[in-house]
Amino acid sequence: MNRLKTRWIIFGGLFLIVTLSYLTNIRFKSVASPEIQKSYDYLDSLPEGSVIMVSFDHEASSLPEIQPLALVVLRHAFKNNLKIIGVSLFAEGTAIGYRLLSQTAREYDKTYGVDYVFLGFKPQQISAILGMGESIAHVFPEDYLGTPTDEIPIMMNIVNYDQIEMVISIADGALAVHWIEYVGGQYHQNIMTALTAAMITTYDPYLASGQLYSVIGGLKGAAEYENLLGQPGGGNRGMLAQTSAHVYVIVLIVIGNILYFRGRKNGKA
Amino acid sequence: MQQRLPIAVCFIAGALMFLQYFSPHPVARAVFVTINDYWQIIFAFTLLVGIAAFVRTNLRQISRGKEAPYRLIGLAGLVLMPVLAVFGGIKIESPFQWAFENMLAPMQATVFSLLAFFVASASFRGFRARNAQAVILLAAALVVLIGRVPITEMISDTFPKITFWVQNYPSMAARRGILIGIGLGSMTTALRVILGIERTYLRGE
Amino acid sequence: MVLHAGPVQATAPGAGNSWFDPATLPTLVLSIIAIAVVLYTIRMVRSGKSFTIREIPGLKAVEEAVGRATEMGSPILYTPGWGGDIQRPTTIASMNILSSVAEKTAQYDCRLIYPTHDPVIMAVAQEVVKEGYAKAGHLDRYRADDVFYISSSQFGYAAAVDGFISRTKPASVFLLGTFEAESLILAETANSIGAIQIAGTDSTIQLAFFIVACDYTLIGEELFAASGYLSRNRMILSSVRAQDILKILIGLFIVIAVIWATFDPASTWWSF
Repeated sequence: MNRLKTRWIIFGGLFLIVTLSYLTNIRFKSVASPEIQKSYDYLDSLPEGSVIMVSFDHEASSLPEIQPLALVVLRHAFKNNLKIIGVSLFAEGTAIGYRLLSQTAREYDKTYGVDYVFLGFKPQQISAILGMGESIAHVFPEDYLGTPTDEIPIMMNIVNYDQIEMVISIADGALAVHWIEYVGGQYHQNIMTALTAAMITTYDPYLASGQLYSVIGGLKGAAEYENLLGQPGGGNRGMLAQTSAHVYVIVLIVIGNILYFRGRKNGKA
Repeated sequence: MQQRLPIAVCFIAGALMFLQYFSPHPVARAVFVTINDYWQIIFAFTLLVGIAAFVRTNLRQISRGKEAPYRLIGLAGLVLMPVLAVFGGIKIESPFQWAFENMLAPMQATVFSLLAFFVASASFRGFRARNAQAVILLAAALVVLIGRVPITEMISDTFPKITFWVQNYPSMAARRGILIGIGLGSMTTALRVILGIERTYLRGE
Repeated sequence: MVLHAGPVQATAPGAGNSWFDPATLPTLVLSIIAIAVVLYTIRMVRSGKSFTIREIPGLKAVEEAVGRATEMGSPILYTPGWGGDIQRPTTIASMNILSSVAEKTAQYDCRLIYPTHDPVIMAVAQEVVKEGYAKAGHLDRYRADDVFYISSSQFGYAAAVDGFISRTKPASVFLLGTFEAESLILAETANSIGAIQIAGTDSTIQLAFFIVACDYTLIGEELFAASGYLSRNRMILSSVRAQDILKILIGLFIVIAVIWATFDPASTWWSF
């Protein structure tokens, strides 16, 4: 079997499996892992009116996985009457962040400027992250809609990270590492991340050392969190597709080894 | 002079940023904020360099008839998005946002989704029990994969526990070792730059 | 330069008008030790001491990769990944390797294509490649258009590099720098056209992808050692030596701390 044909078969198989999974209506019951429970419990323990910062540190490409993650965090925060300051350190996360924040705020009847604000995008992530440790209004002189930051009610008593309970980075890459190393390390701020599944292991060392408070990881993490919230959504919908794809990869590994040993027996490998 | 000035700027900026970390004094904080501000400003100008280089390279290649369709699409995107932003704004429900959400985002997601297909083909090809090390790699991969599937969780909680152990002990130990090495490598490289020994960033010395 | 006069808050690290925050003392002490070790090894080199470095298979393959491309009449594609910028040490290490690769491609008259996501990296890479060609005595073979900026967007960059790999079919692909999710996309595309792939990154998660998909992988600090290995630059080798000394010190510290904590679980002197 030539290389190209093999690829077509592998790719075609995966496409079929994922598509069929989304078309069927089978749902898994995901039990919350200790990590998800820890994240949920922390947000649940914050008193009403506490301020959290949610940073949309992702690109448009990862939206299918990022959206369920962002929604569980935002829904939980609004449900518990926490106040949210939204920022984005990736240009592409800006519009998405504003849309998700506004959409969730509408669900819970929250008022812009009072219950939440979106400060928009700032380039040069490390510089922006460190700058907010001194003064958020200096880094973001106005919000996404052009209102001066110091005139927005929610920002009246916020100077820097000292007035914020937790920073939650919704990320599809290594950007949250900057939050951990600079804001966690230098400003002793609690950091939580909501990550695409591929990035979870990058953060394991920070999690084990306590530099990172907790991780909500991938569609599975989103599905578990949705179940805790009692609001099944995109995470639960994607679980069958993800499970099928995992099983498919396991089957491919097994077939690959069978072919390898058969080839070796025939003297080809 | 051509080299000494940037090396001196690099040394002063590097030393100041290092020292300010240890000081809560308002002067140190002001120096820090100021350097950060200049960092942002300089970054904005580098984008102009990128755009100029992108346009120049693509126009030159188009004039030579090389890969013209791809390059024209690239240039069209470069012109279209700023034009939409300038004439229609960038707020929600603007044409810019429409193009962002309905063109850019799906195209980016499509490229990202290739990763799933490549994971499948790389797993098929890469995880073969060729020797003892490959067997360990294969076994670890299978254990983690099986442990991450919700269906195995429903059958028994043993596999997720094994997965947790593999990820948090042997794998973590190896990763920490690599991270310490990377950290030291980064630190010595940074020191070489600050001390002016490493000059690759200047002109390839 | 005008210092910023805005609402600067001295909240962290520590508050007040003191010039030194005592909480940062451990970091300061460790930094001084690290700097002292680096300066010591530099001094050793300046006083005539030379260091050797073990063979790194991925770097031994550089010659093979250039030779193969020359024989096949195909170009070489070298890209530093999407994750880094010029101030990142990994990018600087990658530039040092690029310098050696450029010198070799100039000698063999092999085309070197260098797409990047960062305009500053592009400008520096143009200079590095040009110097490599000049060192080889073939400045006439240098093509500025082959070192180019594509897009700062991760998957815009990945799609474009994928396109170049598919269309130009390079014989060898160097993926050396800071990579994120684009790593496997690039490595698998290079594999699909049968190119030799030499990869290296400081991202541990992408290392896993590279090890499975590429022919040779430089793991973490090997990337930093690589520039010393290829250039035989004594100053770079001295910093590799400094890394080894620091690693031994860290190892000793970990062993002592583990033994101490085992016999005296209540102790905390080692945690800072």
